[in-house]
Amino acid sequence: MAGETLTMEQKLAQLRAQYAIKIHERLDNLAGVLGDLAESEGNVRRDLLGKVRDTTHKLAGSGATFGFPDVTTVARKMEQMCTSVLDGQVEDGENVDQELSKSCNDLCTAAEIQGLQSQKTSSDVPRASVPYLHGSSRLSILIIMEYDESTATQIHLEMEHFGFVVRIIDHPSKLMDDIKNNGPVNAIITGLLFDGDDDIALSTLAKFREIEENKDTLIVVHTVLDTMVSRLGAVRVGAKAYLVKPIDMADLVDVLDRITLRHEEDPFRVLVIDDDESLARHTEVVLQSAGMNTEVVINPMDLFTTLDDFSPELILLDLYMPGCDGQEIAAIIRQRQEYAGIPIVFLSGESDKDKQLLAMELGGDDFLTKPIRASHLISSVRIRASRFRELRSFMVRDSMTGLFNHTTTKQMLDNEIARVLRSQSKMALATLDIDHFKNVNDSYGHAVGDRVIKALARLLRQRLRSADVIGRMGGEEFAAILPDTGLAEAETVFNQIRQAFSEIVFHTDGNAFNVTLSCGVASFSDYNTATDLSDAADKALYKAKSCGRNQVVSQN
Amino acid sequence: MSDAELSKILYVEDDPDIQIVAKMALEAVGGYVLHVCSSGQEAITHGADFAPDLILLDVMMPDMDGPTTLKNLRMIPSLISTPAVFMTAKVMPSDVERYKELGAVDVIAKPFDPMTLATRIHEIWSQHHGG
Repeated sequence: MAGETLTMEQKLAQLRAQYAIKIHERLDNLAGVLGDLAESEGNVRRDLLGKVRDTTHKLAGSGATFGFPDVTTVARKMEQMCTSVLDGQVEDGENVDQELSKSCNDLCTAAEIQGLQSQKTSSDVPRASVPYLHGSSRLSILIIMEYDESTATQIHLEMEHFGFVVRIIDHPSKLMDDIKNNGPVNAIITGLLFDGDDDIALSTLAKFREIEENKDTLIVVHTVLDTMVSRLGAVRVGAKAYLVKPIDMADLVDVLDRITLRHEEDPFRVLVIDDDESLARHTEVVLQSAGMNTEVVINPMDLFTTLDDFSPELILLDLYMPGCDGQEIAAIIRQRQEYAGIPIVFLSGESDKDKQLLAMELGGDDFLTKPIRASHLISSVRIRASRFRELRSFMVRDSMTGLFNHTTTKQMLDNEIARVLRSQSKMALATLDIDHFKNVNDSYGHAVGDRVIKALARLLRQRLRSADVIGRMGGEEFAAILPDTGLAEAETVFNQIRQAFSEIVFHTDGNAFNVTLSCGVASFSDYNTATDLSDAADKALYKAKSCGRNQVVSQN
Repeated sequence: MSDAELSKILYVEDDPDIQIVAKMALEAVGGYVLHVCSSGQEAITHGADFAPDLILLDVMMPDMDGPTTLKNLRMIPSLISTPAVFMTAKVMPSDVERYKELGAVDVIAKPFDPMTLATRIHEIWSQHHGG
């Protein structure tokens, strides 16, 4: 269903764009009629007023639907004006012409402004579908503003390894042109000194900030200057971080991670259980319009399959259903250990408080009475689902890397295999291990070792898709489950990751070093139980290690 | 009546832009089947063949407006009691009363939000069928 909503949004965006083009033609016609109106009298004038009324009525009735709410407001005012004059409630005269033509100008302005905004959103929409491609899922675009070519090149190289697209400019005066020609960016990393001028970068960024669409761009200052004045200047242009050279690349990636991760918060998964299919579909639409992923179960007997496949973060449950009622279902869900903590919200027409409380005793967390306003439903669901996600993250995630822990990864492999068996689709499993990791710890200390592990975790997150499961299996060992991916494709992806990882330069106390990884890949089409598949991937990893490390081996 | 399913909607609207967006909102989002007529006359000629569960009409249309169209549709035996809903950009309380007297079960304000139109229709349908 999520896919359908996306195309719906895309279609709507297209329609908005078409409307934006048409509206100008209509407004030109309207202006023409208003011109004739000013020179007419008697019945001709009445006819023309009627025409203006009909045109503005149409605009009022369609504007907001296509994302032009101000057009609706102004057109409605004009329509009322015409109606009042035609009904004789307002005296006709020159002031009417003036009023209408002034409003017509307002209409043009409203159409212009919102048209630009709709273009912006419509060009944004297709990007939302990108996350299903390997290796392009988490791209953020950066500009590095740096006069020193070697520093710029170094940042460029490292950032590209982490999946950022990087553009370099050597002077602030080129910033605006670059953005105009090559499009907007997510972040700007800037130095402060250019040809001895410590003001040019900040004053350019201040101008950059004044433009509305740039207000979300993250600015990171990266400079040799460390004075109160320069730091204050950076704060004033809204810089989110101030890093003093020489730069620790890990700090920079951390800062950039924070922004990219914020934008990539996965949508909440909500399971709707309701025997009334059309009602369930509408609940879905409401939640999807708020960006959530939904699944519907009409027949409670199908519950377990969907529950395991979808792993919801909240369940919306109808209280009265044929076969078994909502309370019983809640009790059944609670019997399963892994769902003991999931929020269950009853959605029902039941307004009897006693019955509501009884339902809660049997495992419900909340009770929403139908009909419920869309905004209430959305916020109620969002609050509970986000709390559940946070709580669960303590249990299922590795605290150092934020990746799934060993137990969870294993469990997700089981779930994924069950899903693949049913859907007859492809799936690949990869096991990764950092080469000679003990040497890193022994030579540079555990803190540096941790940084290497975090770097690989970050790299995996950047390079894999949001649907892929990435786990830290312990120590320096990682695993990744790639749905809908064949063996050859998986091997290509991990070869890219291996290559990128080997090119990351780690710095510590004046030392610079590289680390490599080995990887084994196996496909579900060759091994179709969790144990066989894991063993095959491990065997491939072992081969990669014994054949000299720093390589990806496929097991088939 | 409470188990009646809403599936087919006869939709009378002269503005092609609104037709497209409403069709998407009701078919893609709502899962209903829509038959669109661009004028009251077209609805009167072909509407009954479609055997709609619900009639959705724009109020202000050239040639024949929504209320007149509905009056004429009511003369077709199979459409005598089909629930009707008006859509209008001019929702005055007095008008709403007048539309209801004409046999409309509810009135939807224009401009509508394409993402929630289906929900609104569903609410109206459920209320009309007592829940």
